[in-house]
Amino acid sequence: MRILRSIQHKYCADGSFMKEFLLDAPVTREFFLYLGNFGKIDQLPNLGDGFYKFDKPDWFSIKGFIGDSTVEVRFKKETLEITVDFLYLLFSSYHEGTMDLTFLKKKETLRAARVSKLLYGK
Amino acid sequence: MAPSHHPLIYLNNAATSWPKPPEIMEAISQSLSLPVFGSGRTTGTQGEDYITQAREELSSLLGEDNQEHIIFTHNATDSLNILISGFIAGQKQKQNCHVLTTALDHNSVLRPLHEYERMHQIKLSTLPFENGMVSPESVEAAIRDDTRLMVMTHGSNVLGSVQDISAIGDILHDHGVYFIVDGAQTTGHIPIDLRHLPVDAFVFTGHKGLFGIPGTGGFYLRDPQTITPVRFGGTGTNSISLFHPKGMPERFEAGTHNYPGLAALAAGVRFIKEKGIPSIADKAEHQTFYIIGELKKEENISIYHENPNIPIIAFNIRGLQNDDVGFMLARAYNVITRTGLHCAPLVHKTIDDGEGCVRLSLSCMTTDEECRIAADVIREIAQNANPAVNPA
Repeated sequence: MRILRSIQHKYCADGSFMKEFLLDAPVTREFFLYLGNFGKIDQLPNLGDGFYKFDKPDWFSIKGFIGDSTVEVRFKKETLEITVDFLYLLFSSYHEGTMDLTFLKKKETLRAARVSKLLYGK
Repeated sequence: MAPSHHPLIYLNNAATSWPKPPEIMEAISQSLSLPVFGSGRTTGTQGEDYITQAREELSSLLGEDNQEHIIFTHNATDSLNILISGFIAGQKQKQNCHVLTTALDHNSVLRPLHEYERMHQIKLSTLPFENGMVSPESVEAAIRDDTRLMVMTHGSNVLGSVQDISAIGDILHDHGVYFIVDGAQTTGHIPIDLRHLPVDAFVFTGHKGLFGIPGTGGFYLRDPQTITPVRFGGTGTNSISLFHPKGMPERFEAGTHNYPGLAALAAGVRFIKEKGIPSIADKAEHQTFYIIGELKKEENISIYHENPNIPIIAFNIRGLQNDDVGFMLARAYNVITRTGLHCAPLVHKTIDDGEGCVRLSLSCMTTDEECRIAADVIREIAQNANPAVNPA
């Protein structure tokens, strides 16, 4: 799945930075379940075609409806420069079928160390 | 899921009203169909005098006989900055200027006052509210020997509660305290008669209840000498002088006016007057209480003020973040609301620990059917989020 472009952005009341991304395909339930390997998933599957929200504290959250080709991403402003590449990687790495997450997990660990050092000094 | 499958239901009128009545679009179009023929700035004489029209309409709507005491600005925030800065500039002993405001107020009031407090030009006290109201008694108790000014909202942009500015103004004037009222949320929604209200300055905006467009607003000023002008420039009058005119309304209006905006504002006020404010208020009350009644049927919906005086409903659904609810409403149902803090952080500190909420705000263009659909879909979201109704 590819991010085609950012179609709007704004600063939110909680200080986060929101970007709405247009994707090359509608998001699926399986895509959000895949994201669940890297953070927490909240869902209201019976609302509309299914509302899903992925949350990775100190990094970003992603929310959207199944079947929609746009998602809303909220970055923690302080860590955006470190985490934004990983967001693109999460989208571009996804494909249907069994996935090997080794590479993504390694990247996640390296980024997590930088995020932790930036926010908490360790 | 394409929200375009559903008709757009716009419930964010406390930010900017939409849709605008057709008369407003026609007025803007007409104003742009000829060059600007502003007095003193052209040899052309054709066309309408939109500035005077807007001043006449506003003074008539607000019950103010002296239309030259209606000043036009960019918006309510601009008006409040001019008034607050102009009042403080006129204080001879700034270190002795104690100012009152309230926790209900918008950042358009809070930020200018906090900036002046940070610059040690005023001392500031912020009064709390209870059940959406700031009591006149709490105002009287907060007045000190050095209190010079109170700036407060007329109608809360979060809770929809309209304050008793008549009783508060009487108390302030008994103690010689100047009173600036922010009417951004009330003008066009409820009757306002400045002849009988003890206020020194009353602020309005064009793009909310008056159905104008963004970039228009203004204020009424009872005594022009009480506010020191903080803007100077061309007025199209007395151009030989290198000093700004002291007469009204030029005293506070510098530069070219927003002609299309004021044409729209005049048309908007005419529209409001033709519909009649009592009729607008009755419809708003009926629709607001219908929605509140529906939302109260869900045990996991918290409504923060159940008796609003203007059509504003603030709520949260337990277990869901307010911005997620706004996202669901917009994306799945094409119902547009506003979430977060609504530029009124102290209100939220009191009602929801500063987390923010979802706000629905109606206008007289909102239909009963739109209210029914909005209430239904909010209840649907609440039911989906309620583990007792919809176990995971």
